[in-house]
Amino acid sequence: MKAPSTALLRTFSPLWRSEATSATARGCIAQQQQADFSSTPANQARNKRAGPKKDARITQIRYHLQHPLTPRPLRFSRNRALRHWTIHRAWQLYQFKLRNKQQSDLEKQYQSMANACEALRLIDNQGLTAEERLKLGEGEAEGNQMGKLFRIAMQKKGIWDGVPIEYARIQTDTPPRDGWNHAWTR
Amino acid sequence: MAFEKGARPLARCLQCTKHERAALPIRTFTTSRAALLETTNDPASTETAPPPARQPMSMNPELVSRPSQERRVVAETGKQPVASRRRRYMLKQTQNIPFEQLPFQCFQEARKVLQEDRKEKLEQIRVQRERMERLQAQNVAPQDEGRKNHRLKSMRESLDHLKILADINDPMVKKTFEDKQGDMNKPIYRHLADKKWRSYKRQVLMQRITQMNVVPDVLPAVDPVVSTSLMFGRRNVQHGEIVDSRVSEIAPFLEIQPYDQGERLYTVAVVDPDVPNVKKDGFDYRCHYLASNVRISPTETMVRLGDLSEKQVILPWLAPYSQKGLPYQRLAIFIMEQPKLESAADSACRSQEIDVAKIKEAGRYTKRHGFILRSFNTTQDLKPVGADLFRTVYDEGTAGVMERAGVIGGDIEFKRKKIEPLPYKKLPGSRYR
Repeated sequence: MKAPSTALLRTFSPLWRSEATSATARGCIAQQQQADFSSTPANQARNKRAGPKKDARITQIRYHLQHPLTPRPLRFSRNRALRHWTIHRAWQLYQFKLRNKQQSDLEKQYQSMANACEALRLIDNQGLTAEERLKLGEGEAEGNQMGKLFRIAMQKKGIWDGVPIEYARIQTDTPPRDGWNHAWTR
Repeated sequence: MAFEKGARPLARCLQCTKHERAALPIRTFTTSRAALLETTNDPASTETAPPPARQPMSMNPELVSRPSQERRVVAETGKQPVASRRRRYMLKQTQNIPFEQLPFQCFQEARKVLQEDRKEKLEQIRVQRERMERLQAQNVAPQDEGRKNHRLKSMRESLDHLKILADINDPMVKKTFEDKQGDMNKPIYRHLADKKWRSYKRQVLMQRITQMNVVPDVLPAVDPVVSTSLMFGRRNVQHGEIVDSRVSEIAPFLEIQPYDQGERLYTVAVVDPDVPNVKKDGFDYRCHYLASNVRISPTETMVRLGDLSEKQVILPWLAPYSQKGLPYQRLAIFIMEQPKLESAADSACRSQEIDVAKIKEAGRYTKRHGFILRSFNTTQDLKPVGADLFRTVYDEGTAGVMERAGVIGGDIEFKRKKIEPLPYKKLPGSRYR
């Protein structure tokens, strides 16, 4: 019986593939770490024409970074760079202040909500606190009268009733295909 | 003022600045130094540089802006004018405009934002100062004294932070710092320099002293806060570099750069922890240099170890040497801060002096061999604040160096003891020989 051909297998199987390394890997293998571990540059006089020899890995990295989609590095004159830096710092500062302001607003809102809840917790269904009741000579509040408003508030019934219909759009990951409908009126 | 056609939109920007410029002192970009540093209590220098003399720029293809001149340039030099006419006109004009008044709209808006912020910060600084004064004037009960001091300390820290924040967004400060002309008396430049040092040089130093085990060998730990650089004559030595023994024969210069305010006294010690001790089958310490009361401030950083006075030097410089057959010898340089004065406010210097004569008399730390830095630190209450390291190996000059230094043993060669392999580990046949 004739043995089946392995040609197809050889094409697709990683096990059968011949060991052809990529250009990058070959470049890296060709140039192992040759320089000694010192921070001083290699002697420039050795290679008279081209200066110190470039590391192959660096060449490869540069080659692969040079992609049409890679943004160009910013190369500015000194004054231009300083102006750029100034604008960048101002923008960062502005955003920092904006974030701080938003955060403090949120904190204030939360605090005032908490204060309102605390006030509700301390009054009975007449709107009187325990001290005021004493002053008025009403005596102790009965049973569950104290803090009744607070408990009702915590049930959060009907808080979504009055939400406008625009908010009811189903939340999606992407914007709608036809953009914003400016013509829409209620 | 008649403007050319290509430069008309620019002219609008320029005109408004020109009027202002008549009143303002002109500070060109290159000559100004630390213009906006009011936080540091020292009046900013207001000297102005005369504007450089105008050169005829009519033939420069980067600066011509009139069509007739452009044509002449093309005809005579064969070069096309560079970039747009508006840009060329601007380049020609901006030679004399100070950097801060360059007519770029976004740049000017950004400067406005930054200056607004700076004003806020200055106001905060003023308020903080007033608060501190008020707190200082308060009389508190003796049991609350500690709390008051703690509060004052934290207030001072926040004040320092504010001082840095006030100036950190200034492009001129950045420029001055990059030119290495920053005044180290000012907190912002100290801050920038510290950040720069910590970003690379300090990491290299830490790597060297931990890799070569200087830190547990000589002192248990060190957290460098001052940067050091070592120079033998004109030769700058990297941390941990192997130095030729003839080069290191003369005492080096040590640059100690602290990053916090004020003068202080340091003790400098150079210790070799790799001295072989054959009897012990181990290693000993040898002190190559020891000096106290070295006065350092952020602006006075250079120390010539050879030129210190009799009042400072405990052990003068001994040329570092290795011996034949030994691996490299590490020479660890440690900078220790001397204990703080209790009443630091009234004197300029904040550290106590060490009585060198007394140490010399006692004689415990005047012997080079077997010098233990840990014990010296403990007895003198010193705190290590900086470190440096270099190495030496036996080379062709070492014997001469040792002879000149009066050290015997330049001709000794150390050899490894040969260990006979156990009989069953010997090669077959060798035991029958």
